[in-house]
Order: sequence, then structure tokens, then C-alpha cells
Amino acid sequence: MPLYGQLELAPIAARLARLRDLDTEAWSLPRAEILQLACEVGDETRDLLPRAMHPAVPPYATWVVVSYPESPIGPFKLAQLRLMGRAGAHPRGYVLGAIASTPAAVTALRERWGFPAELGAIAIRRYHDRVMAEVAREGQPILEAALVDPELISGADIQYIHSVTLATAPDGESTAPRLVQVDPHYVFHKAERGRPALGRFDRPAWNAACLSPLHPMSASFATCDTDLPRIRFVMDVELPVIQGTRRIR
Amino acid sequence: MKFGLFYELSVPRPWTRESERTVYDNALAQVRLADELGFDQVWAVEHHFLEEYSHCPAPELFLTACAMTTARIRVGHGIIVCVPEFNHPIKIAERTAVLDILSGGRLEVGTGRSATWTELAGFGADPDSTKKSWDEFVRCLPRMWTQEKYAYDGEFWSMPSRTIIPKVYQRPHPPMWVAVTSPGTELDAADRGLGSLGLTFGQFAEQEKRIAEYRRRIQLCTPVGEFVNDQVSTVNFLYCHEDDATGQKRGRQMANAFNYLASQLSSVREVYPAKSYPSLGLLPQLRRQATGPDAGEQAGEGLALGGPERITRALKRWEAVGVDRVNFLLNAMEVIPQAEVLESLRLFAREVMPAFAETKAATAGAA
Repeated sequence: MPLYGQLELAPIAARLARLRDLDTEAWSLPRAEILQLACEVGDETRDLLPRAMHPAVPPYATWVVVSYPESPIGPFKLAQLRLMGRAGAHPRGYVLGAIASTPAAVTALRERWGFPAELGAIAIRRYHDRVMAEVAREGQPILEAALVDPELISGADIQYIHSVTLATAPDGESTAPRLVQVDPHYVFHKAERGRPALGRFDRPAWNAACLSPLHPMSASFATCDTDLPRIRFVMDVELPVIQGTRRIR
Repeated sequence: MKFGLFYELSVPRPWTRESERTVYDNALAQVRLADELGFDQVWAVEHHFLEEYSHCPAPELFLTACAMTTARIRVGHGIIVCVPEFNHPIKIAERTAVLDILSGGRLEVGTGRSATWTELAGFGADPDSTKKSWDEFVRCLPRMWTQEKYAYDGEFWSMPSRTIIPKVYQRPHPPMWVAVTSPGTELDAADRGLGSLGLTFGQFAEQEKRIAEYRRRIQLCTPVGEFVNDQVSTVNFLYCHEDDATGQKRGRQMANAFNYLASQLSSVREVYPAKSYPSLGLLPQLRRQATGPDAGEQAGEGLALGGPERITRALKRWEAVGVDRVNFLLNAMEVIPQAEVLESLRLFAREVMPAFAETKAATAGAA
């Protein structure tokens, strides 16, 4: 069988987001701008991946910085670091760390979808030769990432992988750490790709002290209508997802 | 219809000193038996770094061992990754010629370009250019095999005039094929006069349409070789058991193991936005079957899993939709013990093959 993650739950249990319930309403998020970088990372990242999941071969991570100009709580930005893997047979990005740009977004993302969101400052800037994202927390820069030399592509060429968050979630009579699948839809208006350039990356700030970026893979920047959908699946964090998945709707 | 074997050489963890050797030894024993039983060909893939899924980076060596221990079965080297970072075209021409000689003219050559980030990035290859390099390679190969002197100046490689030796044993040269996973690649095969080496499973209706279009297009082709290889091959699982329910259940375990491993692969499209890889190939289908509603104990549509009657019916359907050859995966992760794999082959040869020998004879008689 493929390898499994080796995440020890106890040391991180206290800082997990807590879902109100699994009845989260969907948010429609039109005209979102999404900058995504992908980079191969070291095998030691298995220690960061839940035991329910398989690591990708080769292991890789994605840095995703999104601007949502419209949402039910107003405009906000979200930056995530995701360790990519497999939930059973399906590619998924496990969210290691997240920064949101408004207090309302932090609260909603934690309580509704289980993102480990913390408050920070996020900027996405477009220059003639690059699209650049900068993320700071408590005034300290923690990420500088760029797509260099953008070229137009079709939105159909981009495949965004769904996310899973790890959060304390009520399900029936028990409340416990669970994996929550977050699987948005995308309608593309514009898409570009280019060379990924990862500058500053403060690993502890993203709950990823052992994650070392090794081999750059790709960068894309897209404008699309998307959403944060209703929760459809939750998974036991310790059991292989093929045994521990529950369909909510 | 002709039948063959198809090897990815899957090796389950934990990897011990003996585990890879056991998988190779088992496969060689299966090939020897298949040769005795009248199977027509054995194919071996070229894959690199695909942990557990395929430990077969040097298929020409495995196939040489097959050829040296068999008498009739043809050896399919495929697919050869036609990307310069993986294989230099001169080396492809040379080693295929040697394999054709050693096998006494039993070589078939499958071509392709790899579809995983794991492999392409491992060799430092550019995913944007693999289709073009594949096209260049397949046009060069027949000339390298057949021309006394060969010189070339292309986009992906060049060489001054040299005598590429040895020459292939078959005349004019071995049949050439293209690996087909994504819809539309069968048309690339047809346009070049190459055989369609299908690597997808099941779904008669879709395959029937694709085969019909392949047959139409290949009539209009400009062949890259000295003859047109108008043949359609597909891949299937095989587990044949006297008891249909047992055959389906055990076979399904093997198919699920294969599908689950395949679904772990990191496709190019998953990580690298590029129009050169417009689809995920067979991965979505395998992922659905690995965990979806098809992942039960019942054999899926067209799979050769179960009792001889069920398998005969499935293969007759494949024959009816226009498939010329079926190549079987016999195991994955060694979930079926070797003795059962060998017995499955014997039962298939005894109970299923005769139904197709009659068809073959009737076709020959009608001609």
C-alpha cells in the first residue's frame, strides 16, 4: 500500500479551528483572483500529513493567495499553504496554514470550513513581468511569492485540487478533530502561467517548520468565479479515508 | 482476436531484497507458460520512479529475458518514452534492433511520451514539448532501422551521417504502436499509420466510437513507417476461475489494487498547467473505480474477471466493437498468489481461447 501521513495529533489539537456545525451555507465568490505556486518538498513532510492521507509522489506543496472582491462579509484575501497528498484515490491539498485579511474572514473561515486562519495582511500586485503576493502577520513578512513572465493559457488547462482542513467538528453526539473536504467550483475568465519564484517563506508561521521547498514546479494566476461550498464530506483523521469517510450531503 | 500479457511490474511495500526479484521471477514464469499456451504477445512498459505501481524502468532487459526463454510469443517494448531526456533516438533504434535479432523477429515497438510529473520532472523534461519530440522520434525510427546510412537535423536531436547498426531482423521493420490513454491520441496513431495501443479499461460504447474513427482515419494516413499497422489493441485485467463469483471477487481485488496505485500517480496536469496534456487520461476513471460505486466485487463492463463463460462474453463484445488484440494485466501488488495466476492462465487457454480460435479460422476461411 502507499505510504501514509504521520501527523501526531496531540501537539496541534489545541490550535485547531472549531466548526460550529456541518451545516455551513455556501458562499458565492465572483471575480476571484488566484495566484498558485507549486513546489516539490522533502519527504520529512510526512510528519505534517494526517494519517488518513497518502503523501503525493513526489511530495509537493502549493502556496495559494486569493483575492475575493465580493463575498457575504465583504472583500477579503486569503493565503494558504497546502501539503498535497491523496485522500484515498483522490488528490487533495491539506491546509497547513492560512492567513486571512479581515477579522470577519478569520472567524468565518475557521467556524464554517475549518481553515486554520489567522489575521494578517495580504497584497497581490501585478507588475509588467510578474504577479506578486506578499503576506505579513503581526507586521512581519512571512511570504513573498511570484509568478514570473506570465503567459496566457486557457482556464481549462488549470486543475485546482480540492482542499481538506483539519478542525474540531461536531458530528452527531461527538465533537472531535476531523478532516473536512472543501471543494469549490471554478468558472474561469482569464488564466496565465509562468515561472514560480518563492522568496521569503517563514515556515513556522505556516505551521510547517520541517517543510523545505526544493524543486519549483509551476505557477498560475487566474480570474474566476468560485465559491466556498457546503460541506459534503468529513473524514476520520486517523483512519484511511477509504474507511473513515462520511458523506454529509 | 489475439491475446497477450501486459506488465507494469508492481511491487508492494515493504520492499525487501527479494521482493522485486520475486515479482520479476513470477512474471517470467507467467510469460513462459503463456508462450506454451498460445498467447500471442507480452508487453512491458517503461516507467521510472512510480513507487509500487511500476518497477519496470528497463523493459528491454525484461523482454530479452522473455525472448530467451520462449519460442513463439512476441515481445512488445512499450511504451518507449520518446522524450530525449529519457531515451536518445539512436539508442532506441539500436536496442530495439538487438532485441528484434535476439528474439528472432518477434519485436513490437510501442511509443509514447509519459504523462506523469514524477517521471518528466525526474528527467528534467519539458512537458510542453513531449508531443512534438514523440512525433519527431516516430518519424525517425523506421528510417534508422532501414537506411544503410542515416543523418538527421531536427528540433530535438540531430546526427551526422552514420551507419546505425545492427538493423532490425524483421523486414521491413517491426510493427509500431502508439500508447493511447487520452481521447484523440488514437487519431494521432491513425494519421501516422501506427497501431493503437489502448491503455484504458472498459466502456464498450465509447471505445466503439473511437475505434470506428481510428479505422476511418487510418485509411487516409501518411505512414511514418514502411507499412501501415492498422490494428487496435486494448488492455484488460484477467482472472479466470471455474467459479464465476470467486473469479469476479478475486479479480476485482486485483483490479482495485491496480486502480488504487494508479490513482496515486501525479499526472502532469495535476501540477503543471499546459495544453499539451489536455486530459487526465485514464486517471479519473481509475479513481472512480478505486473508490466509487464501481469498486464492488462485481466485474465492471468488459473486464475479463470471473468464470470462462463471462470472460468469453466480454471478449466477444470487444471483438465486435473492433478490437484486434487484448493484453491482460495478471496481477497488481501480488494480491493474487502466483499459483492462482498460473491456473487462471491455464483455464483461460483451455476454456476461452478456443472460442476465438474458431472465429480466427472462420475469418481466414472467408478471406
